[in-house]
Amino acid sequence: MADSLELAFALNNAAPEQIWDVIVVGGGPAGATAALYLARADLKTLVIDRGLTAGALGLTGRIANYPGVPEEISGAELLYRMRQQAERFGATFLQDKVQSVDLESDPKLVFANTGTYSARVAVIATGSMGRSQRVKGEDELLGRGVSYCATCDGAFFRGQEVAVAGNTDEAIEEALFLTRFASRVHFLCPTPQLKAPEHLVHELTAQPNVKLYLGATLREILGTDQVTGVRVNLRSEGEIVLPVSGVFVYLQGGRPITDFLGGQLPLSETGCLQVDAEFRTALPGVYAVGDVLCNHIKQAVVAAAEGASAAMSIEKVLRRRKQIAVDWSK
Amino acid sequence: MSLLDDRTRQEVQKALTAMTEPVKLVLFTQGEFGSLECEYCRETRQLAEEVAALSDKLTLEVRYFSKDIEAAQALGVDKIPAIAVLRDGKAPHDFGVRLFGIPSGYEFGTFVQSILLVSHAKHDLSPHTLEQLAQLKQPVHIQVFVTPTCPYCPRAVLLAFRLAVASPLVRADMVEAIEFPHLSSRYQVHGVPRTVINEVIHIEGAVPEGLLMEELMQVNDEAQMQRLRELHRST
Repeated sequence: MADSLELAFALNNAAPEQIWDVIVVGGGPAGATAALYLARADLKTLVIDRGLTAGALGLTGRIANYPGVPEEISGAELLYRMRQQAERFGATFLQDKVQSVDLESDPKLVFANTGTYSARVAVIATGSMGRSQRVKGEDELLGRGVSYCATCDGAFFRGQEVAVAGNTDEAIEEALFLTRFASRVHFLCPTPQLKAPEHLVHELTAQPNVKLYLGATLREILGTDQVTGVRVNLRSEGEIVLPVSGVFVYLQGGRPITDFLGGQLPLSETGCLQVDAEFRTALPGVYAVGDVLCNHIKQAVVAAAEGASAAMSIEKVLRRRKQIAVDWSK
Repeated sequence: MSLLDDRTRQEVQKALTAMTEPVKLVLFTQGEFGSLECEYCRETRQLAEEVAALSDKLTLEVRYFSKDIEAAQALGVDKIPAIAVLRDGKAPHDFGVRLFGIPSGYEFGTFVQSILLVSHAKHDLSPHTLEQLAQLKQPVHIQVFVTPTCPYCPRAVLLAFRLAVASPLVRADMVEAIEFPHLSSRYQVHGVPRTVINEVIHIEGAVPEGLLMEELMQVNDEAQMQRLRELHRST
């Protein structure tokens, strides 16, 4: 509590003062490129994104075939460059998680953790790293030790042992928050390495009350009325049970991320968004690009091209042009 | 030292210009000098004073919990710090909007929004929700447990407040879970937001209006409520 008092009394959920021209949900190659083109067309553009390594490109270790980038770089580095380029043209990037949207209202409303944002046009570029299935026990014990928000619930686990499952910067940041309360944080990384910036990995491993398990798959959350432990499969040692009273889950999967849309847009049988040739969805002023569409090759350059195409289509509509303009300097 | 920085003060002042009717904050406090009985009473009072000073349509009445027993009972205040947000002016009205615990962090925005909501009484609920509320047969007490660091919580609290504004049968409380550990224990709060309706209906997370109403309307089904009470007793 004392810490939160020092955090200031921010008007986080106050009514939005600014109406953006475009809000892009998701800052991967599709979203970042859309923002680059939109901002260059002098449209006020906000990108809301969960973090550099929250999506497929940010998690990719090495990229060697992105046109114009001959050196081998990490996906996160490539994405960082795209964002910097977009920012140079005036796009704003906000690290936040979108909880829900109202796409039928005018302006469109985007509800994120830090506030409500409104825009004339919304672009959905959330990618396809949503979870496909829950861990056994997860749904039954939600709110009884299972949580998706360490900052919300960390204080309930003061002096107790907890587990964090995930491998991204989001998971690490949440685990670091938990170290202030929990006696021990068991960090269950499903991959052989953490997929996060080096400084965050160092900060995590330097914590005396964090135990890092690499290649650890969360199999089951144990307990009846309360979480009492987790069953974990370790690549090196096989199955173990850790006695914890809280489990914080930040795992990813391979499904298009559309849950925050609340059924406002039709989905294909495989859960993907559907668009026309100009990346328009069924709702006016709502576009979708990138892996959330599933109907294209999962390559950064293809997603980027879709972002650019959608941006030009949006510019045409907002500027009431009859045709797409390919060079806004004229 | 001021709790609100200049920028926040300016933002709140600007937000409060949207008030249409006057609002009175009735704050219940005691033992403001670090006593164990109320860890954040002093800060809550200071916060309420600073906010009340930002609009001439806003007044603050400070009551002492152990002395003003009748006033506390009349407003349903059973723990402190507490703020009852009441419509004032020519047509004073108590919509049943309460904040228990200091509205800090993310809940500060909720506090300001609750003032605006009580002032203009625009609940913006769907016609279907209003139809459901009109069918309520008995009082509904919604308690939304929160922590100041929970970004999802304000949505859950404000939805409860909007329901309170829309229906004379609904009362809605924000309850800061860490400040009231006995309640967190009683209602098994291990994650927030957790909404408790009439003691026995429990909802995890900031759910949409339709889903909350689906759960809430169980209060009309006495047999179902009895089942939930028995279930609650056995756990």
